[in-house]
Amino acid sequence: MQPVHLFDLAARQAQWASVRQSLIAGNIANANTPGYVARDIEPFSKILDSTHLEMTRTASGHVDTSGTSLETGKIKPEDSWDVSFSGNSVSIDQELIKAGGTERAFQLNASLVKAFHRMFLMSVRSS
Amino acid sequence: MIDPLASASQIAASGLRAQSTRLRIVAENLANAQSTGTTPGADPYVRKTVSFESVLDRTIDAASVKVKALGVDNAPFRLEHDPSHPAADEDGNVKMPNVNPIIEMADLRETTRSYEANLQVIKRVRNMFSTTIDLLRNS
Repeated sequence: MQPVHLFDLAARQAQWASVRQSLIAGNIANANTPGYVARDIEPFSKILDSTHLEMTRTASGHVDTSGTSLETGKIKPEDSWDVSFSGNSVSIDQELIKAGGTERAFQLNASLVKAFHRMFLMSVRSS
Repeated sequence: MIDPLASASQIAASGLRAQSTRLRIVAENLANAQSTGTTPGADPYVRKTVSFESVLDRTIDAASVKVKALGVDNAPFRLEHDPSHPAADEDGNVKMPNVNPIIEMADLRETTRSYEANLQVIKRVRNMFSTTIDLLRNS
């Protein structure tokens, strides 16, 4: 039987959406911090394209790379809707739109997992 | 590693805390808009300012916010001619606080807007949490 990758894919997208949501939370919390530059994460399609093996932590002293495998960075000022005089490039409207989009992606993802899980259960029960 | 969704709530909560401190300072300034000194020539209430600073969370590269410092506004005091006032100097002028109610109201509106944005984030994060929990229901 072919291995089923859908759950792995869904888990990774859920992780991506969670990290993105916390970055958006950080941007909105710093909407009035002078000089703060808004941050974002690379799009999920790009993460899929550059799939690579992750190092495993075998001892507690090892560096935890589980979160940092997602590439985060500052967004360019010209991509922001408004940049204030102090250099703060957070636009609350833009961030809220992004938060809505991320939440929608997360819900779609969860629904797909649920549907797939139902299919699993169906095949188990019918036999 | 801390769950990013949990840290998102923490970060939004730090935003709420910072904005409510700012709201408190606005309230102090407005309440003391007429607070003069009591001895002749004494300085009145000085307008307070608040400044924010971002605190980086290394694990996810997102930043929470905290109040960096409460400062004072160095703008000159307004002079009002009122010789009968206890704080009047030899020319009969009273120093009034350097609080401009219009600026304070503008600050108040912006504080409310930022506070509401942080609340929206908390709502969205909570929705995402309950979406995940709902996976376990009826399946």
